[in-house]
Amino acid sequence: MNAIEARDLTRTWGENTGISGADLTVAHGEIVALVGPNGAGKSTLMSLLLGMLRPQRGTASIDGVDVRAASPEVWRRVGHLVDAPLAYPELTVRQNLELNARLRGFRGTAIADFRLEQYANRKVRALSLGNAQRVGLAAALQHDPTVIVLDEPTNGLDPAGVILLRERLLARADAGAGILVSSHHLDEVARIAHRIAVVNAGRMIGELDPHAPELERVFFEHVRLDDERRAA
Amino acid sequence: MLGTVVRIELHKLAASLVGRVATAAVIGGVTVLSVAMLFAVRSGRPEITAKLGALTDDWAGFLSAAIQVTGAGGLLGSAVVLGWMLGREFTDREIAGLFALPVGRAQIAGAKLLAYLVWSIGVAVLLPLAVLVAGAAAGLGAPDVAGLARLGALSLGGALLATPVALAATLGRSVLAGVGVAVGLLVIAQVSVIAGAGGWMPLAAPALWAVSAGQLVSPGQLLLVPVFSGVFVVLTLVGWRRLEVGR
Repeated sequence: MNAIEARDLTRTWGENTGISGADLTVAHGEIVALVGPNGAGKSTLMSLLLGMLRPQRGTASIDGVDVRAASPEVWRRVGHLVDAPLAYPELTVRQNLELNARLRGFRGTAIADFRLEQYANRKVRALSLGNAQRVGLAAALQHDPTVIVLDEPTNGLDPAGVILLRERLLARADAGAGILVSSHHLDEVARIAHRIAVVNAGRMIGELDPHAPELERVFFEHVRLDDERRAA
Repeated sequence: MLGTVVRIELHKLAASLVGRVATAAVIGGVTVLSVAMLFAVRSGRPEITAKLGALTDDWAGFLSAAIQVTGAGGLLGSAVVLGWMLGREFTDREIAGLFALPVGRAQIAGAKLLAYLVWSIGVAVLLPLAVLVAGAAAGLGAPDVAGLARLGALSLGGALLATPVALAATLGRSVLAGVGVAVGLLVIAQVSVIAGAGGWMPLAAPALWAVSAGQLVSPGQLLLVPVFSGVFVVLTLVGWRRLEVGR
């Protein structure tokens, strides 16, 4: 059973916005990267997979369960960060992580795991963008989810934060989690992804080998050929 | 799980500047304005007493002032709190994080509304106490307990009447949409009183009831207030259940 599965998933707003006919699978223990130009449909696809949007066509499922019918037990296994971190500015880092833990039905926080000790009692509004992002990632991952969806998780992170995230994701995948992560940083996702799926103009247009040489050039060639095909 | 989320919402409200300022503004503002009116009456200056109308230098006059201020200010203060509780999730962009959780959005919205009810009950208890202390300090003698109870009930009634703000903040996806609707509610309440709708207009009924010591509004008319509130609570819960993000 796949951790994440999209079949013919479609939600569009006019021509070339949203996502159309997306098929995607992420197995347990696998990291799949979603790459594409701005506005290609990556965030829309992730939102559909997490039930944030209702599809016009197709299905999205988590651990084999349609997200429209997913029980609290299914969602308890999910960790996600899409759009902005769930971190309230008026609360401290510790309070935010405790809040996130309680929303998922457990106690405790991963302050040390994400090296947030020195900020633990600081209000999130006083944090830098990168540290706020780190709080959001800790909130998404601290309950050791087995299904993980992260949209541009390295946004604002400093190099230490990027390495920390990489280590955490690899550890979660080793523990059997299925991970879908979008990014603009091809070199970064190539370090951790087992597969790279390319999205362009609202459609999945193929996959890249993370170990292929000149990955960026291959990616842009994929996108260019697709643009030309659509224009023809 | 609902209890956990209610506690979380109360914690967020207590930690927020909006929650603290609105609570202080409703309780402190009503009390200070009422005391100011009392001392204006005591000043005996005809140009001021003429403007204050029937207000007198006793518990009845003091509570009448507090009730009039609460009728308008209480609703507005409650609306700001409620609009912020729901609208801030969109404005501060936390809403996406409230999806894909073991607790559903309707449950989260329900917890917010319950936390708001707890806050409203707290204000409805603390406001008469603050007015009681101020009246006693001003030397008004033995308090009018029934009048103080009406003040508390009016405060709670105003809070219940603010529930359209929850729906507006949800549909408008912002705090400001809620506050805008609150201003509209105040205008409708005032116009309906002038137009003679009286007790049959839920938005005006609690204030009319409190001002007239129950003479102008029947219990049946007052019952329309929770019905009115309940309709908007249900619509808000449905709105959160059907919520989408991204577009």
